[in-house]
Amino acid sequence: MTHGSAVRNAWAPAADTRWTVTMVSPANAVAVAAADYSALDDGALVTASAEGQRGAFDVIVERHRRTVYQVCYRFAGNHEDASDLAQDSFVRAWRGIKTFKGQSALSTWLYRIAVNVCLNRVSAKAPATDPIESADHFADTRIEGAQSTLLREERAAAVRKAIASLPKKQRATLILRMYHELSHQQIADILGSSVGATKANFFHALANLKKILGNEP
Amino acid sequence: MNHLTSDELIDAAEGTLDPARQPHLDTCDACRQQVTDLATVLGEALAVAVPEPSPLFWSHLSERVRTAIDAEPQVAGGWRQWLRWPVLAPIGVLALLVLTLGIALPRQQAVPAVVAIAAEPADADSTDRADEGFALVADLVGDLDWDTAMSAGLGVAPGAADRAALDLTANEQQELTRLLMAELTRAKS
Repeated sequence: MTHGSAVRNAWAPAADTRWTVTMVSPANAVAVAAADYSALDDGALVTASAEGQRGAFDVIVERHRRTVYQVCYRFAGNHEDASDLAQDSFVRAWRGIKTFKGQSALSTWLYRIAVNVCLNRVSAKAPATDPIESADHFADTRIEGAQSTLLREERAAAVRKAIASLPKKQRATLILRMYHELSHQQIADILGSSVGATKANFFHALANLKKILGNEP
Repeated sequence: MNHLTSDELIDAAEGTLDPARQPHLDTCDACRQQVTDLATVLGEALAVAVPEPSPLFWSHLSERVRTAIDAEPQVAGGWRQWLRWPVLAPIGVLALLVLTLGIALPRQQAVPAVVAIAAEPADADSTDRADEGFALVADLVGDLDWDTAMSAGLGVAPGAADRAALDLTANEQQELTRLLMAELTRAKS
């Protein structure tokens, strides 16, 4: 069967088999296929992807792209690098989809890939954060409101910078626990450590964060 | 009573402290202060949100992933994984080297004159074999473009010929010298 055609087997009373051939445009065929994949759960999508069905992997990307991007943004601190890291994470996931045996949730596996990609690519130094919008942007609002927004943005930038300066495991633990609300057990699975070590990392991350932010002007 | 450990302080900040340890927290100012500090930092860090990208970004990201995967070399199992240029190109070069050596070695044993070698039936056979082998290698790498060849390490690095010459044994160097001199003499004539 070629792409763009659908063949339906119609039952005939005379017990002979008749074929009804319905031609559909390739675009529709893709839409039908995508709709079919969307109905599948993550496990079935993984199986289909491992068999090389790209449409299934497209649905995996669609379902998890926001989460993966957000993890990457937390590490990178800017949109451009986060986009690159998210893309790289999914490409790695595609490469390794055959090795994923479902020991953990697909989301956990994707978190692990994204965190590893980020830890390998994002240096310990402060990331190139997106610029803080200047007060000119708020020229048409009240000055007090503009100033408080600017202060809040500056503080947020300081927090991002402080997080970026944390040791890798502390940073990963902090991001996954605070911003993605993963359990300590899930984080331990992702980082390949124990729950105790994860909690200790989280504690030290918060303590360091407090120290760094305390030194901020 | 012992102060709360780091694990317990985290549990307390997250509201999951073991009830057996709660009495200590209720009565220990130092531990309570630590829990308060942790909660404060947590609150401040939580207030930092990821800016929402443009709604168009998500489909753009999916498209980027699709394109990047399309650019990936096909990773098929079994023998198909050998049908990739990064694998085929070095094999082709290796085969070419082996064939070249196969041609060169009989010449060492033959009469020095090139004309005489060509007249030998056995050498003519080996030349035919070499031609077939070369044709095979040419088929394998014939469509290789320059960038692919360079990325596969087929390019000649500066000084590579010098290093290769230095790696030869004394006899091989002597033979190489003889062959070069023969070629120079032939070129002059």
